[in-house]
Amino acid sequence: MIFSSIPFLYYFLPIVVMLYFVVPRNMANSVLLLASLFFYGYGEPKMLLVMVATIIFSWALGLKIPEKKWLTTVSVVVSLGVLVWFKYMGFFVESFSDAFGVEVGFMNIALPAGISFYTFQTLSYTIDLGRGRIHPQKSLLDFAMYVALFPQLIAGPIVVYSDVENQLDARLRKTTWDGAYEGIHRFCIGLGKKVILANNLALFVQDFQALAEDQRSVAMYWAYAVAFSMQIYFDFSGYSDMAIGLGKIFGFTFPENFNYPFISKNISEFWRRWHMTLGGWFREYVYIPLGGNRVSKGHWVFNIFMVWGLTGFWHGANWTFLAWGLYFGIFLLLEKFFINKVLDKLPGAFGHVYTVLAVIFSMVLFNADTIGDAFTYIGAMLGAGGSLPFINEIGKYYLGSYGILLAASIIGCTPVLKKFRWAHKIEPLISVLLLLIATAYLVDGSYNPFLYFRF
Amino acid sequence: MMKKIQVIIFAVVFFGISVLTWVTPDKEYSESERRLLAKLPGISMETIIDGTFQDGAEKYVTDQFPFRDRLRSAKALFEYKVFGKKDNNDLYEIDGHVSKILWPYNAGSVTSATDKFGKIYESLIAGTESEGKVYVSVIPDKGYYMAEAGGYPAIDYDVMFDQVASEMPYATFIDIADTLTIDDYYKTDLHWRQEKLVPTAQAIGEAMGLKLDGIGSLKPVTAGDFRGVYYGQSALPLPEEEMVYLTSDIIDGAVSYNFETSKEAPVYNLEGFEGRDPYDLFLSGATPLMTVTNPEADTDRELVIFRDSFGSSLAPLLLEDYAKITLVDIRYIQSAFLGQFIEFDGQDVLFIYGTTILNDSFTLK
Repeated sequence: MIFSSIPFLYYFLPIVVMLYFVVPRNMANSVLLLASLFFYGYGEPKMLLVMVATIIFSWALGLKIPEKKWLTTVSVVVSLGVLVWFKYMGFFVESFSDAFGVEVGFMNIALPAGISFYTFQTLSYTIDLGRGRIHPQKSLLDFAMYVALFPQLIAGPIVVYSDVENQLDARLRKTTWDGAYEGIHRFCIGLGKKVILANNLALFVQDFQALAEDQRSVAMYWAYAVAFSMQIYFDFSGYSDMAIGLGKIFGFTFPENFNYPFISKNISEFWRRWHMTLGGWFREYVYIPLGGNRVSKGHWVFNIFMVWGLTGFWHGANWTFLAWGLYFGIFLLLEKFFINKVLDKLPGAFGHVYTVLAVIFSMVLFNADTIGDAFTYIGAMLGAGGSLPFINEIGKYYLGSYGILLAASIIGCTPVLKKFRWAHKIEPLISVLLLLIATAYLVDGSYNPFLYFRF
Repeated sequence: MMKKIQVIIFAVVFFGISVLTWVTPDKEYSESERRLLAKLPGISMETIIDGTFQDGAEKYVTDQFPFRDRLRSAKALFEYKVFGKKDNNDLYEIDGHVSKILWPYNAGSVTSATDKFGKIYESLIAGTESEGKVYVSVIPDKGYYMAEAGGYPAIDYDVMFDQVASEMPYATFIDIADTLTIDDYYKTDLHWRQEKLVPTAQAIGEAMGLKLDGIGSLKPVTAGDFRGVYYGQSALPLPEEEMVYLTSDIIDGAVSYNFETSKEAPVYNLEGFEGRDPYDLFLSGATPLMTVTNPEADTDRELVIFRDSFGSSLAPLLLEDYAKITLVDIRYIQSAFLGQFIEFDGQDVLFIYGTTILNDSFTLK
């Protein structure tokens, strides 16, 4: 089940919210856990067992970790083993087969939705237990609810255990009218981002990809790259907004995940604003344990590539994602050694342009089937070969038809709208309007892709 | 306190909609979209595990959502007025006329269609007295008259006409595009208006050697008001329009026979107009094989029309020069079986299809 669907919005969610606030407080977590298991099982009935097994394993191990620290290693090995098996084994075998020309019989394994998210959450729990930073969660119910909590289960944010440890006890968790108000507004903003902006941008991306080679133009390649960058941003940040909003309604405070990344002045800043919980997780559980930057220069370069290679690979089992992560690793190194020194001497606009261009090219790679395809697309954007017209009739039509959407999306990527203080006064009206417009789109059966199937 | 009130108001709206989804009675059919709406799928462990129940349930709750038509209209208006989109679900509107984008050109589909026509010709017509009496015509969709002026993408129609003509050398090509204008089509439907077809019928008649003496004195009769298929698909708030048919004593006296239902009916079926597709007024709508017999005919000349739905409104206008017209719709019958029903022994043969079908001809059998 996905948030941006009629079954979730008008069947699942109202029932869960009602039950949550009607039952006695000591049953609130049970309601959330059962709802979360239903939410997951509804979309992934076969994979529910994998998640439940992961939860029970991590919880049971967690009880013993304070006395037997080596169990942390067992937890990491087993959890990553499960993740590798489901998410990467097919890719590894296929790559091995391609590289060595060996036919290896292997079944294509279905990827459980959200496995990358809930595995990282359980790992944060067992690793922090091993470090002595947190106490074991004695209640299986509360732990299961933490891992499976439906608002953040399949698309994040990645909520590390220490972030919500104090919120897991339903009796201590406070639900307030202010929280509900903020949660509702945040949820509706996220729904609007996903359904009204991201899905429409996805339609443009889809239309572009359906064009034959001779119908494309340089301008359309650029528009495609910008549209896909915006689509990913609004889809992903919209999902995060919905998750954070739902969390607030139920009394949770989830960490922020996006903070206007496209206004960044360099790539380092971009990643402090983009998918912040993933960046935070890798920093905390990979980069710092590897020694961070307090090591020799060579070791540090290795650490950067390790972290960014893994970050890319986390997004999907394909060479393109690995390359995407390493691409950012290269930029971060270049910034440290060279680019930032140059940017510091130039007006701020140069930094913005540089960052946006670097990110837009990266998104072409992110959405490409192969690295070769990405080079072809980027080459076309730069006019390689000189055979493509800058713009043609079909390009004019699409740019005319999607121009306002693209412009609105670009504005929406910046905090410009926050400056209109009067908008705060009509937040409730905005929430209702966004809900109704998004519902209209969903009822019309408009294009509604789910991007996180390979995460 | 203010926020508490605002949360309560939002909750009333949100839960109100939710309650409506539960209590609103299911509809079987959407008049505006001209389609059956999804029903709640059967539930079993197997359908839950393989996900078919969930997929079906989502279609069901989406189809049965309260105020569905109004929400679809709201979405269409939002797309046009707020986002300035030029089309909604590939449909666009200019001066009240709705058309569907026909693009890109699918030359392979056109060849696939003409291949099927060629097989029919080779297997049933070549070598008979009908050889040499074969004609082909292509009916432009509304985009022919709207797209370029509105800046919308469209196929190169001349390329399609030339391709059809060159791939059917055994047939005489009849160009009817210049006999029509956008006002000869319904505003909310894809079809042409029969009462505006006289010049088109005359052009076809002239090419086929027909006299059509009475075509100028056909009597227009209003069947009633309707909204066409593009009304529902575009979800735009568009007004109703009149459906008019042309009749005469010859047409009133003619009888159609439907091979599928084995039933006779008049040429104009007013019950069809009241049905799900008002265009079924003309020869009772889509059917694989039908004959229209003209008892008043002073000739034994016959015509076989291979056609889509446009042919239903054209055939009555040609009837005065024929004793019998046979209409074949190979979207609903395998071409290979036609020999069991039709023997070609001197009939005129007209292949007449719309550009929309030719550009997406997978439905032709």
